[in-house]
Amino acid sequence: MKLAVPETKSPDKTSSVLGKMFRQNIQTYAIILALIFIWIFFAFLTDGNYLKAQNFSNLFRQMTVTAFLAIGMVLVIVTGNIDLSVGKLAGFVSVVVAYFQATIWTRVLPDQALAAATLSVFIGVAVGALFGVLQGYIISFLNVPSFIVTLGGMFVLNGAILLVTQGKTIPANQPYFSVIAQGYLPVAAGWILASLVVVYLYFNMFRSRQKKRAHGFVLSNIYLDLALTTFFAILVVGYVYIVNQYNGVQIPVLLLAITSVIISYMANNTRFGRYAYAIGGNRDAARLSGINIRNNIFYVFVLMGLLSGIAGVVLASYVGYGTIAAGQGYELDAIAAAILGGTSTLGGVGTIWGALIGALIMSSLSNGLQLLNVAPSWQYLLKGLVLVLAVYADVTFKKRG
Amino acid sequence: MNDDIILDIQNVTKKFPGVTALSNVSMKVQRGEIHGLCGENGAGKSTLMKILSGVYPYGTYEGEVFYNGEELRLEHSSIRHANELGISIVHQELTLVPSMTVGENVYLGKEPVEKKSINWNKLYSDTDKILARYNLDVKSQAVVRTLGVGKMQMVEIAKALSEDAQVLILDEPTSALNEVEIKKLMEILATLKANGVTIIYITHKLNEFFGITDSVTVLRDGETVTTQPTRNLSEERLVQYMVGRQMKERFPKGNRQPGEVIFEVEDLCAEDPSDPSRMVVNGVSFTLRQGEILGIAGLMGSGRTELVTTIFGEYGKVTSGRLILEGRDLKINSARDAIEHGISLVPEDRKGQGLVLMQSILKNISLPNLNQFAGVFSLDKDAELEASLYQAKSLAIKAPNLQVSCNTLSGGNQQKVVIAKWLMSRPKILIMDDPTRGVDVGAKYEIYKLMNELAERGVSIIMISSELEEVLGMSDRVMVMHDGRSNGTLDVATATQEKIMALATGINSHNHTSN
Repeated sequence: MKLAVPETKSPDKTSSVLGKMFRQNIQTYAIILALIFIWIFFAFLTDGNYLKAQNFSNLFRQMTVTAFLAIGMVLVIVTGNIDLSVGKLAGFVSVVVAYFQATIWTRVLPDQALAAATLSVFIGVAVGALFGVLQGYIISFLNVPSFIVTLGGMFVLNGAILLVTQGKTIPANQPYFSVIAQGYLPVAAGWILASLVVVYLYFNMFRSRQKKRAHGFVLSNIYLDLALTTFFAILVVGYVYIVNQYNGVQIPVLLLAITSVIISYMANNTRFGRYAYAIGGNRDAARLSGINIRNNIFYVFVLMGLLSGIAGVVLASYVGYGTIAAGQGYELDAIAAAILGGTSTLGGVGTIWGALIGALIMSSLSNGLQLLNVAPSWQYLLKGLVLVLAVYADVTFKKRG
Repeated sequence: MNDDIILDIQNVTKKFPGVTALSNVSMKVQRGEIHGLCGENGAGKSTLMKILSGVYPYGTYEGEVFYNGEELRLEHSSIRHANELGISIVHQELTLVPSMTVGENVYLGKEPVEKKSINWNKLYSDTDKILARYNLDVKSQAVVRTLGVGKMQMVEIAKALSEDAQVLILDEPTSALNEVEIKKLMEILATLKANGVTIIYITHKLNEFFGITDSVTVLRDGETVTTQPTRNLSEERLVQYMVGRQMKERFPKGNRQPGEVIFEVEDLCAEDPSDPSRMVVNGVSFTLRQGEILGIAGLMGSGRTELVTTIFGEYGKVTSGRLILEGRDLKINSARDAIEHGISLVPEDRKGQGLVLMQSILKNISLPNLNQFAGVFSLDKDAELEASLYQAKSLAIKAPNLQVSCNTLSGGNQQKVVIAKWLMSRPKILIMDDPTRGVDVGAKYEIYKLMNELAERGVSIIMISSELEEVLGMSDRVMVMHDGRSNGTLDVATATQEKIMALATGINSHNHTSN
């Protein structure tokens, strides 16, 4: 292979930016195409009901619990680990939160609904994070493989769920608390939010160009940058437009979006994130580069626990009670979403945004099949097939490329 | 003496893209002899043995190989074809499955089958027969993991012999063995010879040829130098044959003025993590001056890589010794400690340890240096790119941009990325373990120039090299390692390839010279 002499001041060759972006993110684009195909397919079969505002709004709301787990799972898998306990951890958090609301706050904080709801959230997230600390410690400092630790964790949590619930269903439908997964922003607020995001997108684009200029880099084509920014702006505005036709921007989706931005930023723009990818890409090279592998993996599991805690709180608010079956099988949905979104099971590769789209595909399938009254047996069958097919397509595509 | 030739290699040439590994090699092996094969690292020994064992099958090389008087035509499809014909090889690295028994390993892939199921009784009794016939002291039902390295080596030999081998090739079988185990191995080889097995014996330890071989062939730069009866040879003669060539002007002349001693290693000892009874670094002491290039020569298995990874805090257990940098004692327990003290390591295995291959040049260069760009919550990516571009430019890394992933780069460019990442950390001491291995000539020259520049700027360099020319061409002093020890340090003005090779092969290990 012949390689050209570097244009040292040019990080990218403007002319080939689009082509390169496409090649680098080929799986992301393939998965977006798959998502659009699934939407059109179900819209066709349901006479358009599938993409009507109400169902569209529900579709996104339904994916949130899995998506919180999936974005954490990306980092876990990227470091070459796995977490099988996240479903049960979210379930455990949901019953703990329900338990506090049903039996403790009513005694300790009667008539202080807002404080009770807030405390519930904190306790839920803290329980998740603490369990992450425990599992992370065993995995990184006691050297027990994550597969084993989290498999054990899954059993432990299942037992803990039974202990807390005593086999009964506990209600968690206090009004303030319900807002978390069932609330909507007022229509006007949605529009204000959308405008702010759009302004920020353009502002960020110009600021980034300015910084690059200050460093003396050759800038990419301004029209190209504008086109890309405008594309994302249209997505945001379009989304808000559609959900505003129904009840408005869904609170859980807003929470998910904020969390995703934070986690994605951590993955790409902090040492923590960069080290995680390096560890998964080549553990020896990372070690010889002076990276503290144990600490990094520990914090990845703490973060996963924290996100499981958030997922558990949203779950409790979403269903309105804590049950013994809470979170059952969610870990597999989360792993599937991450892998659909391009996370490599070999480690080192994966994006938060990909996992979000993966989670959206999973919920789009469930939602569409439910709308068509397809039996659950077939829903599982189809989800499994889609997962294997998607990875198979990716493997063959990459081999040819 | 053309009585009974079992293996006759005639004018074999093997080319790889850009390199001729073997050029017109000829070699005759007589039936029933032990035939030694020696040469420097990269002389072509392994390539030749890979042709005999079918790794490079018939048609992928030029020239002819006659085996028992017929041309050897090993098939592409079956790596076991050579085995079936009676040529077996014991590789340098052990190829056993540790969790299986000796018998299962010996018959792995060729288990005796009866009515589609494995006949375990036959498998174990056949294994016992082989073990007994060649006087191998292992039990067929023992699990390999529980055996020492010496016994594992015996299992490897038994595995090779299970196919009624006529020719047995041993590739550096003693590199991981201790004295007692080596002695035992020699006895086994004598038994094999008495049983009519022809043996090709490859080793870097020249003294081993004299106890056991009947004749020795020397390869150099992919060519046959000579084949002679062992009784006509001496270690000194062998060394001359191995290195006898002219130095060419391949090394840029630096203008170095090494300063004061900044780094001292005193009596460093480290154990083999998998075998605590074996000291891989055994009482090594040396000094390093500012702006000096210290070459470390030594054959594979001499402990040179283990020495530098020990200094870098990433090898097994250090049992004793001191590291003194600028007059202060260092405690180095991990790569992180070493980097903080200004010591960097360009590792031997570029792809396995130097780079995250799937990641971009940019991310690889900045990986150990992210602290330089870290704010409270974020990384200054523009500064990262600017600093990486500076390194990429000064090392002339050839790539369209820094977003290119490292697995698309040539060996030389990959090595430059590894060097760039360590230069960005501004080391006081740069350790380079075989920095030009697998690098083409042009990139080699650039790496040499860079080393000179760094040394002139006051960076001290420790360079391990397998090429004697490189050691002599680049170093100010050369420390020669043998068997985990420093066997002497030579000033480059008086050093010769012969002197280095003599120290490296352990000829005068009794009159220990040290600096």
